[in-house]
Amino acid sequence: MVTGDVETKGRIKEIFYLGVLLALSAPILVVFVLLVISSFGNQMATNFDFSAFRFTLKNWRLLFEGRMAITGGVRENIWLHFLSTAVVAGGVAFLTTFVGALTGYAISRIKFKGRKILLLSMLLIHALPGSVLIVGVYFLYRVLMPQNLVFIRYFSFFYVILARAALEVPLSVWLMKGFFDLLPWETEWSALVDGASRFLVWRKILLPLIKPGIVAVLIFGFLAGWQDLIYVRTFLIDRTLATFIESNLETEMAYMPLLAAAATFYLLPTIVFYISSQQLLFKVYAGGIRR
Amino acid sequence: MKKFFVFLLVLVSVLMFAKSLEEGIIEVGRNLEKNGISEVRYSVWSSGDPNSVIRVQGIVEAARRINNIWSKNNIKVKITIRETRYELDFTQMYQEFLSKQPLGTAGDFLVNSYVYIASLAEEGYLLDISKYASKYSNFMADFYTTQVDAARYKGGLYGLPQDTEARPFYIRRDIAAKVGLDLIDLDKKVAEGKFTWLDVYKWAKETVNKQASEWGLIHRRGTAHPDLMQFILAFGGTLYDSKTNKLVLDVSAVYKWLMIEHVFSKEKLLPSDMMAWDWAKQVHPAIVDGKTLFDIGGTWYWTEWQTKNYYTDPKTGQTRGLTPEEVKNWFYYTLFPAGEPGKKPVTLSQPFMWMISSKAGSQNPKYAALKETYDELAFLVVAMASSSDINAIHSIISAHLPVSQQAAKLLADEKWLTDLYNLNIDLDDSVKTVLRDIVKATVHPINAKFLTDVAYMLEYTNFPPMHPMYPKLAAIFAETVDNVLRGRMTPDKAVEFVIGKINADLDLKQNILIVGQIPADWRFGD
Repeated sequence: MVTGDVETKGRIKEIFYLGVLLALSAPILVVFVLLVISSFGNQMATNFDFSAFRFTLKNWRLLFEGRMAITGGVRENIWLHFLSTAVVAGGVAFLTTFVGALTGYAISRIKFKGRKILLLSMLLIHALPGSVLIVGVYFLYRVLMPQNLVFIRYFSFFYVILARAALEVPLSVWLMKGFFDLLPWETEWSALVDGASRFLVWRKILLPLIKPGIVAVLIFGFLAGWQDLIYVRTFLIDRTLATFIESNLETEMAYMPLLAAAATFYLLPTIVFYISSQQLLFKVYAGGIRR
Repeated sequence: MKKFFVFLLVLVSVLMFAKSLEEGIIEVGRNLEKNGISEVRYSVWSSGDPNSVIRVQGIVEAARRINNIWSKNNIKVKITIRETRYELDFTQMYQEFLSKQPLGTAGDFLVNSYVYIASLAEEGYLLDISKYASKYSNFMADFYTTQVDAARYKGGLYGLPQDTEARPFYIRRDIAAKVGLDLIDLDKKVAEGKFTWLDVYKWAKETVNKQASEWGLIHRRGTAHPDLMQFILAFGGTLYDSKTNKLVLDVSAVYKWLMIEHVFSKEKLLPSDMMAWDWAKQVHPAIVDGKTLFDIGGTWYWTEWQTKNYYTDPKTGQTRGLTPEEVKNWFYYTLFPAGEPGKKPVTLSQPFMWMISSKAGSQNPKYAALKETYDELAFLVVAMASSSDINAIHSIISAHLPVSQQAAKLLADEKWLTDLYNLNIDLDDSVKTVLRDIVKATVHPINAKFLTDVAYMLEYTNFPPMHPMYPKLAAIFAETVDNVLRGRMTPDKAVEFVIGKINADLDLKQNILIVGQIPADWRFGD
């Protein structure tokens, strides 16, 4: 059915498609819902047994007190773990987007020797999982790390961000190249003729046109940094929420509803970040330019 | 006679030259001061159940005690513990130590299971403390020798015992009374091998048939290591051959173990989905709610049942922890019974060790020049953390067994227990803050008596092999037990399955000796 310039589906078809989508998403949605419910319970709700389930805020109170058990355990600064996670995720998101936008622009607009090889090799790097590259990254860390423990702490953040971003850069470059490719040359010619530098054209004229693309790459980078486990566990001196949860996920000893609260807390910023940037994301179409 | 005199001479020389810890601490402090060091910073990493925080707080307390000694002797040096990291998962912590030790960013002290000593020592990540153990031999004499020996690897000593445990076989008293199982002196009968798994089967069956409880037996979920490995030992099998440094698959003992799992599951004395049960929602509640006569557990269960809300109170319908009196009145405990007449009862321990990184103190000034001094100080810190009172506190609050004789004696001292309950003891304020809620929940004469009562089990103890392939073999056992319990494999097919898995993996094949065969005439069950 075509109404005006927008194609719409009939009501029955729409309900059918919605039903299929819901059915496909159901397993994931159910897991998330059970996790959130468990975080407010005296026991886990993951086996759908609610017979002895009682609502409580105790898990969240214990979590913000930095405790991982009802009795015992040492106090953790959960906000410090949150901050460390945010620094890593923010750093990876920024670096990935910055390098991706610059490189994508250069590859899209400038012809230089080795351009094709660069593009192909980037794809190859992206095909390799981070765990495969970690041996080399580890040795590089040993060579570069400072000796003073205070400096190592800051260096470890810098290095994790750099290493983790390096894994995301190939994808971001390809995405950004795609966005820049679809912008007509004319948009920047006039500025170049008027004497603007390439960098100025990139910053003032092109970047505002590919905002949805930038948001998409930012989200990918943020998620990569937020959920990373291998690199932060290997290099970072501080702990992130991911390593904190992982290291306490010991089924024989852990108080699981408290871990469910920690996991829900861990999920929240990702959901907030996604929802807040969703409007911009939906404006991306296949070419990556705003409609 | 000549040998005896030589031995006596060596002993006297060792005792003459052996230093007290305090003398050593003063000497090390003066050396550091002379070299212009005013502060030594250390970090400690450990893991385990939430009540075992002494594994890190013990180092904090040890640092305070050493600082006090230095202060009294006008030595202007102090130890600062810059990091106390404590996690529940000790395998994760071991892996993180593995990756960060070479970078110098791992903890200076690691408290973890003795099983990791082999791989860490092999990589050179741990300090060999043999020479300090000789220098302070008076101090070392208080440890139980078997526990110290567990830290030895290829001629070196790589840790001091922090705690150990036994795995009691719990029997629910009220259910036993219902079916007529006489518990008087049963622990002695078990110790003498007169009450075996044939009897366990008989009474479990009686209990379920009379509907005295839902199950006859409950055991651990998920893994076969360590609890279920006791079956192999109880049938006279072995897990490790020290001559060849290979693991052992004792076919006969494994078959008999799997037969017990098979028969118990088939006759509904043990849940067929036992390996998939949830610890907090099924395993412990089933035990404390009286749904099983027997349970294969550990010493730490004793306080875990008190500090976690596993029990559903029939009066209120609410879950709560048990009181010490309830635990005492409801549960009887013995060694893990012998598999069959003629075999011996067993238990299994996995001692935790204070380990010192070979780079301990490397973040401190003049490390290269003063490495010897820093190493000795690191030893003295863990030695101080092994003080009998610190070890006794750990034992009572976590229901682990003490590793030294003096600590065991303290547990029998009621005045000391009362002082500990009220925290009227000489401890750092930060340590008291961490311990406050744990001592209120766990320090009780009943709990102390329990630890004293089960200490004899260490005479029957075995240690799981310190072999890098052991976790892989244990994982095969876990999968096999699950298959047997669910009725997917008969015991003989299950043994074939284990052998097939071993032969399919080159590493396992080269590291496991397969001995014995399925006993043709052995029967279990009706």
